[in-house]
Amino acid sequence: MSAIAMEIRRNRLVMSYLIVAMLLVVLVVAGGFLSDRFLTWRNVGNLFQQLIVLGMVSLGQTFVVLMGGIDLAIGSLVSALTVFLANFLEWRPDLVWLALPLALVAATAVGALNGLLTVVLRVHSLIVTLGMSSIIFGATLMYRKEPGGSVPRAFADVAYAKIAGIPVSAIILVAIFALAGLWLQRTRSGRSIYFVGGDREAARLNGLPVDRIVVLAYALSGLCAGIAAIFLTARTGVGDPRIGVALTLQSVTPVVVGGTILAGGRGGVLGTFLGVLLVTMLNNLLNFVNVSSYYQWVIQGLIIIIAVGIHTSRRR
Amino acid sequence: MSSSVIELSQIEKEYPGVKPLDKVDFAVQPGEIHALLGENGAGKSTLIRVMGGAVKPNSGAITYLGKRVSWQSPKAARAAGIHVIHQELALFPELSVAENILVDAQPRGRFGLISNRARHARAAEILAQLGVRIPTHARIDELPLADQQMVEIAKALVGKVRLLILDEPTAVIAGHEVDLLFENMRRLRNEGVGIVYVSHRLEEIFEIADRVTILKDGQVVGTAPVGEISREEMITKMVGRRLSQIYPARRAAPADGPDILSVRNLRTGPRVRDVSLSVKAGEIVGVAGMVGSGRTEVAEAIFGARAVEGGVIEFDGKPFPGRVPKDAIAGGLGFLTENRKDEGLFLGLPISANIMAPDLQGITKYGLIDRSRECALAERQIHDFSVATPSPDVKVGNLSGGNQQKVLFSRWSRIANRLLILDEPTRGVDIGAKVEIYRIVRRLADSGVGVLMISSELPEIVGLSDRVFVMAQGRVVGEVEGEALGEEAIMDLAVRSIERHKATAEEIA
Repeated sequence: MSAIAMEIRRNRLVMSYLIVAMLLVVLVVAGGFLSDRFLTWRNVGNLFQQLIVLGMVSLGQTFVVLMGGIDLAIGSLVSALTVFLANFLEWRPDLVWLALPLALVAATAVGALNGLLTVVLRVHSLIVTLGMSSIIFGATLMYRKEPGGSVPRAFADVAYAKIAGIPVSAIILVAIFALAGLWLQRTRSGRSIYFVGGDREAARLNGLPVDRIVVLAYALSGLCAGIAAIFLTARTGVGDPRIGVALTLQSVTPVVVGGTILAGGRGGVLGTFLGVLLVTMLNNLLNFVNVSSYYQWVIQGLIIIIAVGIHTSRRR
Repeated sequence: MSSSVIELSQIEKEYPGVKPLDKVDFAVQPGEIHALLGENGAGKSTLIRVMGGAVKPNSGAITYLGKRVSWQSPKAARAAGIHVIHQELALFPELSVAENILVDAQPRGRFGLISNRARHARAAEILAQLGVRIPTHARIDELPLADQQMVEIAKALVGKVRLLILDEPTAVIAGHEVDLLFENMRRLRNEGVGIVYVSHRLEEIFEIADRVTILKDGQVVGTAPVGEISREEMITKMVGRRLSQIYPARRAAPADGPDILSVRNLRTGPRVRDVSLSVKAGEIVGVAGMVGSGRTEVAEAIFGARAVEGGVIEFDGKPFPGRVPKDAIAGGLGFLTENRKDEGLFLGLPISANIMAPDLQGITKYGLIDRSRECALAERQIHDFSVATPSPDVKVGNLSGGNQQKVLFSRWSRIANRLLILDEPTRGVDIGAKVEIYRIVRRLADSGVGVLMISSELPEIVGLSDRVFVMAQGRVVGEVEGEALGEEAIMDLAVRSIERHKATAEEIA
């Protein structure tokens, strides 16, 4: 057996990536046969433009899941931030330079608060973030019950901007994923995410700053939700208090489909990226062949169960 | 021998690349305690699983009570009277003793509902049969481990048990708890039950077993009545080579110089009441005592992993400033925890990451981890401690117990250049690896590191330590060194203090 094949057999993560990559190829080929518009430049461009929102929230979820937790507040946070951005920019369109950093800071702070609460109260992250999600959702609805607000033209253009035919948002997304990968693999804090997720007590006994790492993972998840919200607001042009409702669970799909295990400590951002591509392309293709969004939900559910089933059966 | 309870002949089991059982013949007579001995990976657990119906052999025959059988499931084997008690107890910690004992035989009352009263009556009856007094209403997690084990044995008695298989039952209990276990094993034997007893501890085999079968690399390398085989022969057969000397030579002279570590009147947690001990550079100091005497808590307090409630911990003559493991590590301390899977290793991560975990700053340059340096350092450790692995990228979870322990030594010996604390350093590793670990520990001590070693295995404490502190019920009750250092002296100290304690308690009552 060749050295590369040996390496792949040994490294289950690489194998997970290959499985998802193969599914992607199948999807592309099937898409080409099923619809003559699927593999056009135009559609591919559109598709990549759509990646960033799901991509960013899934990246944030990856950090938290790798660290051994789960973040169920992502969707509500994104909704709240779109409402904030659209209403703020309707009021003062000239203050984009202020609104965006404010949104990111607020998002990071909410994430960090999630982390702090799990550390201080020692309550499971599922409970803390579920509670936080409900609080944010309720508070947002108190402020605005219906979609509203607006954004200046220049800001809206960000969502659709292209450089050499490639959507700017896709370039940003790839760059952020690459940075995230480098951070996780090659820095002390990034590596510590795996240590804490792999075994929290062992991490503590190895002298690692466990509590700080936990807070960091949630803060990064918040920051990612902030970036997602900025692009979502730019694209839709309004703030919608309900827009993120489905996003929380959607953010988990690419993570687990990409081979990151929910128990923490194993996985990576490359898998998540492939997962995001897979889910987005699948929904795009289903749109082309006129399958209703209800079916898309069903199919997405099937994909989660099947993909994770394949990953786990390989681990046995 | 048609009278056997179970008879396995020419059993083979093969997985891709490994053959855990190779033409194994094994038989257990009624009223016999048959010890199964072998290193880790010799095939003991696979053999147990074959008998218990959890693994189907590729070929060979199983004869149970005179009939050819082929178990479809563990449940089928259990229904036929084969009960396996695994090392990790299969109990529901939050349910009552009675509910656990009758877990798949809940007595029904009126309307087919489970009858609480009948359940407790039946459970009490079974426990009485075992001669143990455990309240049937108690929750499992309120019980000491030894009682939990008795509950597990009680489960076996619900139906008619013909063959009882115990997998390393003494790994988690000690002292009189072992005596109680053995007493019950003898009782069951006298009732005609066949018992298979798996253990690493040769002393126990001589004490309890009638016959012993030794497995090596999936093959039976010897079966003999216990009276007809010597300890030496057993080890030689099990390891496949002669272990001229299990323990390395002690220090020629007692260590002099100041104490590296000095603990005085330490009090911590619910158990540790009054502990004073010391370690000098280059010496191995043993801490003996029953499980539950507070030894692990002392180690955790020294390492900063547990709050100190009273007393002093001094390091190099100065009060230890650190209150978290991070400070201890920075001060040159290392801690090999008792439970390496939950508190030591990151099983899903590669060997290199595991070795370098407490020293990430040592391999970080310009804020980035230097991978080639990490691998080089890890490879040197792997070589120094002869960890059997093709590459530092292999996940630690894929290594054997002995190799996992060597990874931990590789990790801590790099940075613990002052004091290394070992908690049960050879638990669950086979005898070949044990010998290697003893040499490693002595080598580290010879290089000037102080070693504080907690162990429940008295031969190991006696064989390896230069000095020994004996703990009982949260106190250090004595210190033994030099000529006096022997198993009896240690047991004596431990037991005497417990008796004294009991006497005082009765007086107060």
